[in-house]
Amino acid sequence: MSEAPPARGNPPPGRLPPGPTCQVDFSRPLDFTFLGRGVRGFAGDTVASALFGAGVRTFGRSLKYHRPRGLYSMEGESSNTFMAIDGVPNECAETTALRAGMSVRAQNVRGDPRTDFFGLIDPFDRLMPAGFYYRLFHRPYGFWPLFQNGLRRMAGTGVLDPQRDHVRDGLRAERYMNAEVAIVGGGAAGMSTALAAAESGLRVCLFERRPWLGGHLAWRVRDFEGQPLYRRAEALARRLRAAENVKVFTNSPVTGVWGENLVTGFTIGAEDDPFRECHWECRAKTVVVAAGCMDRPLVFNHNDRPGVMQAGAAWRLARTHAVRPGWAAVFSVADDLSLEAAVDLADLGVEVRGVADAREAGRQDPAVVAALEERGIPLLPGWAVSRAMGRRRVRACELRPLDGGGSSHFQCDLLVANGGMQPRIGVLASAKAKLSYCTHTHTYQPAELPPGVFAAGSMTGLRDPRSIEASGRLAGCRAADLAGGAASARRTDTARRDADALPGPVAGCDIRHGPGIGRGAKAFVDLDEDGTYKNVKESAAQGFDVPELAKRFGGFGLGPGQYRVTGQNLAMIMADLRGDPVETATPTTVRPPLAPPSLATLAGPGHDVHKRTPLHAEQAAQGAVFRRAGPWQRARYFSDDVTCRAEIRNVRNNVGILDSSPLGKFRIFGPDALNALQRVYISDMRKTRPGRCKYSAMCNDMGHLLDDGVIVEEGDNDYYFTTSSGRAGATVEWFRFHTRHDGWDYNLVNLTDVLGSLNIAGPNARKVLQRVTADDVSNEAFRYMACRRITVGDGVRARCLRLGFVGELSYELHVPSSYSRYLWDLLMEAGDDLGIQPFGLEAQYCLRAEKGHIIIGAESEARVTLTDIGMGWMWDRHDTASKKVGAPALRACEKQPGRMKLVGFRVDEGQGTPRDGALVVDGAEIVGYVCTTRRSEALGWQYGMALVRDGNAANGATLSLQEEQKPGERATFSATVTSPHFYDPKGTRLRA
Amino acid sequence: MTVKPSFNWLRLRRLWRPAPVRRHYDVVIIGGGIHGLATAYYLARTHGIHDVAVLESHYIGFGGSGRNTAIVRANQRTPENVRLYDEGLKLWRTLTGELDFNLMFFNCGTLMLGHSEAAVDGYRMLASTHNLLGVKSELVDPQQCAELIPGLDISDRPAFPIQAGLYHPPGGVVRHDAVVWGLAKGAAAHGVHIHQGCEVQGIDTDGNRVTGVRTSLGTIRCNRLGIMAGGYGAAVAAMLGIELPIHPLTIQAMVTHPLKPFLHHVFSSGAYHVYANQTLKGEIATGAHMDPQVNYTNDATAYYLKHQAEALVDLMPVLRGVRFMRIWAGLADMTPDMAPIMEGHLGYDHLYLDAGWGYFGFKSGPVAGKYMADYMATGERPEILEAFQLKRFLEGRYSGETAAVMKYGHWD
Amino acid sequence: MTFRLTCPVCGKRDIYEFTFGGQERGPRPEQEGLSAEEHFRWTQFRMIPCEPQEEWWYHAQGCGVWFRSTRDPGTNLEVEGAADE
Repeated sequence: MSEAPPARGNPPPGRLPPGPTCQVDFSRPLDFTFLGRGVRGFAGDTVASALFGAGVRTFGRSLKYHRPRGLYSMEGESSNTFMAIDGVPNECAETTALRAGMSVRAQNVRGDPRTDFFGLIDPFDRLMPAGFYYRLFHRPYGFWPLFQNGLRRMAGTGVLDPQRDHVRDGLRAERYMNAEVAIVGGGAAGMSTALAAAESGLRVCLFERRPWLGGHLAWRVRDFEGQPLYRRAEALARRLRAAENVKVFTNSPVTGVWGENLVTGFTIGAEDDPFRECHWECRAKTVVVAAGCMDRPLVFNHNDRPGVMQAGAAWRLARTHAVRPGWAAVFSVADDLSLEAAVDLADLGVEVRGVADAREAGRQDPAVVAALEERGIPLLPGWAVSRAMGRRRVRACELRPLDGGGSSHFQCDLLVANGGMQPRIGVLASAKAKLSYCTHTHTYQPAELPPGVFAAGSMTGLRDPRSIEASGRLAGCRAADLAGGAASARRTDTARRDADALPGPVAGCDIRHGPGIGRGAKAFVDLDEDGTYKNVKESAAQGFDVPELAKRFGGFGLGPGQYRVTGQNLAMIMADLRGDPVETATPTTVRPPLAPPSLATLAGPGHDVHKRTPLHAEQAAQGAVFRRAGPWQRARYFSDDVTCRAEIRNVRNNVGILDSSPLGKFRIFGPDALNALQRVYISDMRKTRPGRCKYSAMCNDMGHLLDDGVIVEEGDNDYYFTTSSGRAGATVEWFRFHTRHDGWDYNLVNLTDVLGSLNIAGPNARKVLQRVTADDVSNEAFRYMACRRITVGDGVRARCLRLGFVGELSYELHVPSSYSRYLWDLLMEAGDDLGIQPFGLEAQYCLRAEKGHIIIGAESEARVTLTDIGMGWMWDRHDTASKKVGAPALRACEKQPGRMKLVGFRVDEGQGTPRDGALVVDGAEIVGYVCTTRRSEALGWQYGMALVRDGNAANGATLSLQEEQKPGERATFSATVTSPHFYDPKGTRLRA
Repeated sequence: MTVKPSFNWLRLRRLWRPAPVRRHYDVVIIGGGIHGLATAYYLARTHGIHDVAVLESHYIGFGGSGRNTAIVRANQRTPENVRLYDEGLKLWRTLTGELDFNLMFFNCGTLMLGHSEAAVDGYRMLASTHNLLGVKSELVDPQQCAELIPGLDISDRPAFPIQAGLYHPPGGVVRHDAVVWGLAKGAAAHGVHIHQGCEVQGIDTDGNRVTGVRTSLGTIRCNRLGIMAGGYGAAVAAMLGIELPIHPLTIQAMVTHPLKPFLHHVFSSGAYHVYANQTLKGEIATGAHMDPQVNYTNDATAYYLKHQAEALVDLMPVLRGVRFMRIWAGLADMTPDMAPIMEGHLGYDHLYLDAGWGYFGFKSGPVAGKYMADYMATGERPEILEAFQLKRFLEGRYSGETAAVMKYGHWD
Repeated sequence: MTFRLTCPVCGKRDIYEFTFGGQERGPRPEQEGLSAEEHFRWTQFRMIPCEPQEEWWYHAQGCGVWFRSTRDPGTNLEVEGAADE
């Protein structure tokens, strides 16, 4: 343990000499720009501490009134110090670590926030009571859009330029962890928790949002039990770093504790981290929340002036960042920690001219009172600040006794104000702890904690460092016991006894606001959206007198600070206004994320997860244009021509080759395989025969078509079947779901990714196939709808299915995926002189439509059943014993009048070209729509399929089609209903 | 109040006054959201039925009314729906005047993005349908999409490249809370009693009549009862032993830190399960897909925060540096065909149900209330509600609001 | 709420790994003599009060088993011990 503080360099003028708790290294200057001017900061600075150290006092302008705003909390509790950093809007200057070369700009103002034209709005707040926009601007209504655009322009803070990328470079990482004990907060309590839990040998993760451990001890130099407090924190941190089963994450704000103790957050990368930011999720058995406290803002007149600061902010500026927070300070506080800050700032050379304490005399820690006395600092118990004076920044303030009486004026440039400390309840609230108002600490305390969640440390009202550590130890023991560590009841009992023997929670202060509030001055309850005390009263007057409603009506706690600045004050003030006792105050809902993660960080590396077929590269080389189809990338076109005329022509006249690998391929076998098929397929599956493909379909319980494919019997209760590519992933789930009560014995194997599939189609298909196999594939030996095992090339065994989806002689070859490329090359070479060319999904789409073969989703939808689309012939209507999925619905809907039906149509000649999606109308009524329509080269006319109401579906009926071809231009067409089997209706080409 | 009432908008009065709970009302409506309040408002205003109570278990607008992303539009798929939503869209302006309360209708237009050939065909059908029915809607190409929504990535890089869009100028965004408060103000002004913190614990019946409602504020008798409880409608119906084809599912939404206006239209994408708009305050409000399991919680999940970020930055990489500030969840009462159930005399005389709006409950609120008021006042189903009867589910006749076929139930 | 479900094979896993299969309603009804209304009621109509119900779940991103779990729609949480049946 080194006693001498590390060398920290020499501070520039305007900054304090670095003390032992200083985190800034003055030997490492970092130059950056603010509003284009060069500014020097140092390693360890945040953007705000560097700016403040360089003399900047006005950091931005407020949302509504454009009042100047300064550094307030050093914790990013409000948007006061949100800035644009390197073009990224809404970055929090108070917590963002400074890096060399940053370009920093103020927000909600043009140029320098010290001068702002819109500051002229400030006096007109009387015309803008809470919710005024609901009662204004809508009469006459015609003016509303004008006002609305004005409102929009005034709202918002950061500027996002949609023409550029708004994110700083660097990798976004992701990390998923498991832990028995997760700890939120790396202060004395959190560290004690971790050490106690670690003794049980469990995995412990500790998350601390600041770059260092120690919580508020990290900047306290007060002597305690013979050593300064920061040393105590250092000792704990050293022990923690040595514990092998504790993983410590600093710079890691927690975004939420979700159901069953999922802790999420992100880590901001330090300079030597390989990532810029890392999103993490930690599934923990138990969570100990030791998130500490923050100042409860004091609501008083002009409490937003630059120079008004929370005690923690002023203290940390001086102690952590070696920045002088001011020359002459006045304090208006309500707890001992803030009094200690006053003493400490005085020791650092800040002239503390007076300290008002909202608590009455005698409630202060005598040691701190003595220290104040020693330094000649007047303490005014029972007093608080009533107003800050000075327009652009604090120049003076007025203190008053809370029980009335005369006032005292003080000149000052720093006004440290709070209403005491409030716990950081966010983590507990997000973990669904029930919080209630505690009349002893005057804070929200957990009344009921969810399973596996514990609270410890200063947030429970403890102030004595020993109590804080003991509460952590106890929480650590209890968490470890619950999480299944080497439980030791004695250890936990000892920890409990130790904790009980130490001082308990310290009494708090219930001050709601400063004396003489209002009186023509603004007192802010919410800094983000300029919500004032007067606005709270106005909301209440209009009936919004519970915090949750007032929050929404007046906009309190809806800005970037969320509940943190506003939550407790709003509830306390509202209880006051209603005349209710303060303990009725209930916090408004806390919503995650508790710290705001950037979308880039949440999104992570953003891998596009999809599947490629074994023939992706081959197709790409042929000029394929790929489209996402379910999980797959599939070739849709092989040219720029979206009509695919060449691809279609080649299949009709020569031979085409299609990569159909995503087709679902399955084997089902076992004693109950047939039973399962009978259940999910709509046809009589007993009628399968070895070597034959049986075409059938699956419906859902509403009789909607879900899937179609072929089934081949390969043995006794052993079948091979195909599904549409879109259903491949859901097929096993589907079978098992619909047989879940039956206890049937069958195995179902998804072979989709294991087997590649290639389809050759066209009049020359057989010639190509003959050249790659010695097996007899003549029409006599291998008929339409047959399935054979053949050997291709150098002995590759393939299942060969002779099908005709596109309406031509065609063969589907299923081979192990690893042979797909071999087979592709083989077929391409064999078919070279026969004109073999690849074709894509769009060509297939047109080819099958010419044949009247449907595609699920294109010619079917939620209004039509299997019978409505003309496929009812598959349905084994007499089978009730199998309890076929969808059969009762088909029976119910079969003869219903008024249903939509699938029809084919031929567009009458001499008209334009309707497209997919055109409407079918009857007079003024819409009676259907066109599913698919194309002009066919093979037919010489435009064919199509449409879903139309049954009354318009008769063969030979005239359909009137309408389409909005260009905005405002409605084209009409007439067409005649025909059978949808347009091309080769007798199927001679399939069987050739 | 220290404010001098020199101008009307400065005169601060309660928008509605708490009223004592009477033991009997002619009409009791369960649910103090937009649907319930609108029904009460129209009952009183149009039909002169002032003896009406609205019962709300939390505070008005606690449920879906205050949890949606406030998008309004009339570009539905079926003519029945387009007709209803189109009338609903025109009501925002009328109501703003009637209620003398600015509902802040931002008529910015909505853009739906299509990412496949099939989606484009579907949009062509929609555009034709809308224009035939007099609702403006047009198919736009990716370039036009990028002009409407600067920052959209229209290249081939995203997982689902944009193929086309359906632009619908009459759509936009309405301030959801304002609608709740405005309707409450209007209803109360016509004598309707609004009881907040009044939890319904049971429903009393006598033969084929509903006689009253047992609540945390005592039993309240009534002649006519309306169940308009949004996501909780199915749970209320269950008190009467009524089974419904409704699954309540959580749907989540979130907002970013506020930004100066740059997004001037609503946009949505089915493939990414994303919809987004910029609120008057400057936040990007964006919603996500639903959790799959039925539940009555309002639990948000870490998963969707991440999922939403992934989807948004793939569509619109310029949002990468923006931060999420708040996530919340609400309930969507999903029916199998994504169309609502508006039914009267449901198992009991004068028991009315307005439910199953899924995630369309906000945009339809006032117009549904208007026709449910007609229904409740006369006992006769208005013609425009013919398409939304419960019996369609018992006949296997789905409304075509969604083309997609479900697998097992309404949750998938 | 991000909660977990107990798969009988894989143990407690994140809810998003599963497919929801609806309430347990017993075996499929006999189809002989089943009326249209009975069928459509069985298929779509449910009573979902705020109390624990037995449900079907499929471990889609895991072992691929359908199993029953008792869960409370009012809390989104599994009822303890339900997976051991």
